[in-house]
Amino acid sequence: MNTNSNLYTVVYTTIIVVVVAALLAFVAMKLGPAQDANAKAETLRQMMSAAQVRPTEELYAAKNAEILQLYADNIQEAYTIGLDGEKNGELSIAKDKIELIGKLKPQNKLIKEGGDATLPVYIFKSGIVAIPVYGAGLWGPVWGYVALQPDCYTIAGAYFDHESETPGLGAKIKDEAWFREKFIGKTVEWGEEPAFRLEKNAEASGAANAVDAITGATMTSKGLNDALNVWFKAYGKHFGMGAFLHMLEEHAIQSKED
Amino acid sequence: MAQKLKDTILNPILKGNPITVLILGICSSLAVTVQLKGALVMALSVIAVTGLSSLVCSLLRNTIPNRVRIIVQLVVVAMMVILVDQLLKAGEGTYAIDKQLSVYIGLIITNCIVMGRIEAFALGNKPIPSLLDGLANGVGYGLILVIVAFFRELLGSGTLLGFPVLPASYIPNNLVILPPFALILLGCIIWAHRAFDKELQEK
Repeated sequence: MNTNSNLYTVVYTTIIVVVVAALLAFVAMKLGPAQDANAKAETLRQMMSAAQVRPTEELYAAKNAEILQLYADNIQEAYTIGLDGEKNGELSIAKDKIELIGKLKPQNKLIKEGGDATLPVYIFKSGIVAIPVYGAGLWGPVWGYVALQPDCYTIAGAYFDHESETPGLGAKIKDEAWFREKFIGKTVEWGEEPAFRLEKNAEASGAANAVDAITGATMTSKGLNDALNVWFKAYGKHFGMGAFLHMLEEHAIQSKED
Repeated sequence: MAQKLKDTILNPILKGNPITVLILGICSSLAVTVQLKGALVMALSVIAVTGLSSLVCSLLRNTIPNRVRIIVQLVVVAMMVILVDQLLKAGEGTYAIDKQLSVYIGLIITNCIVMGRIEAFALGNKPIPSLLDGLANGVGYGLILVIVAFFRELLGSGTLLGFPVLPASYIPNNLVILPPFALILLGCIIWAHRAFDKELQEK
């Protein structure tokens, strides 16, 4: 048989491609549930790391089942809000059917274009509230969880992750504990533009809502800054009242002092 | 025959080592050798991909149209790489490592060792020797990876496989964590290899 004829070549490549595609589709289908379980546990680890439920290393050393248990033990309430800041759904927190909004990309699109977004709010028994952020880094998406103290104003912790930022530069947003620890004690100025600043020399301004960008990772820092601000803006209507109350409280303290 | 088989297995590990002699796969060996665990998973992944791709391509060798043989090889290698990636993502213990290795698992496809061995060996040899040749080349690559990662994790973090082995008074050397040090280390390994095996030295 002439293996160099055009017909043979076309038929051969077609068959190879179809067989390989079918095989890969089958494997992806079979492994899907196990991968989803891993992804879910990963989301919970990041969220609980930000919410200071356990130290990050401990969370990453724990098995998936332990993570689900830990979440079920520590979560108080989880719900979703729309872009109007009103609650529009409940997320199950029962141990055997934990619901999460794990896929942040479609939500990010809804925030930007307007639509029926379901932005998750996770409230832990400690009173700490965790919310996600998502945006575009240099090479791929960057995302993370920011946890707020019960006043919904002070940051209790943060955890950031990325898909393919440069190791040693942009990847520092995930790899370096000092970076996420810088966010602890900072504030989110709901309703202000920007609500948070992750910029060069931002800390020098002395503002409570500012963290320095990472040297050598300008685009990743910028991407994360946008991610924070786009999502903080979307959550602003929901948490804005908390910030307002906080302001009143400060005024009250100040008046007393006066 | 036995001698030929022995050469097929030993040559890629020693005299024809893909990294130290053929200087292939340098990029990934700099990138994934910060920790021993990641290097081991990467090494096993590459061994699986080179072995199985060589086997499949060897089985198909008489049917592949010559004009599109590179494309067919590419499809086979890509399939193997995706399979490995999917399996790592599905395993509970390997998920975190897969995330850590991130793009480098997917980039195994661009590792010249894989396609190089298919083109040079698998297309002209029977399936079993091709499988062995692929596996041996993967081992040759993995061996160097593990050696580099051993020193980088030991000196850069003071740990091995995550367990602390050096006394707490040891201050981890940050230079060792950075890719340039891997290149320096690789140069030293190549130097040692050539000093040990005089046949590798040019006249």
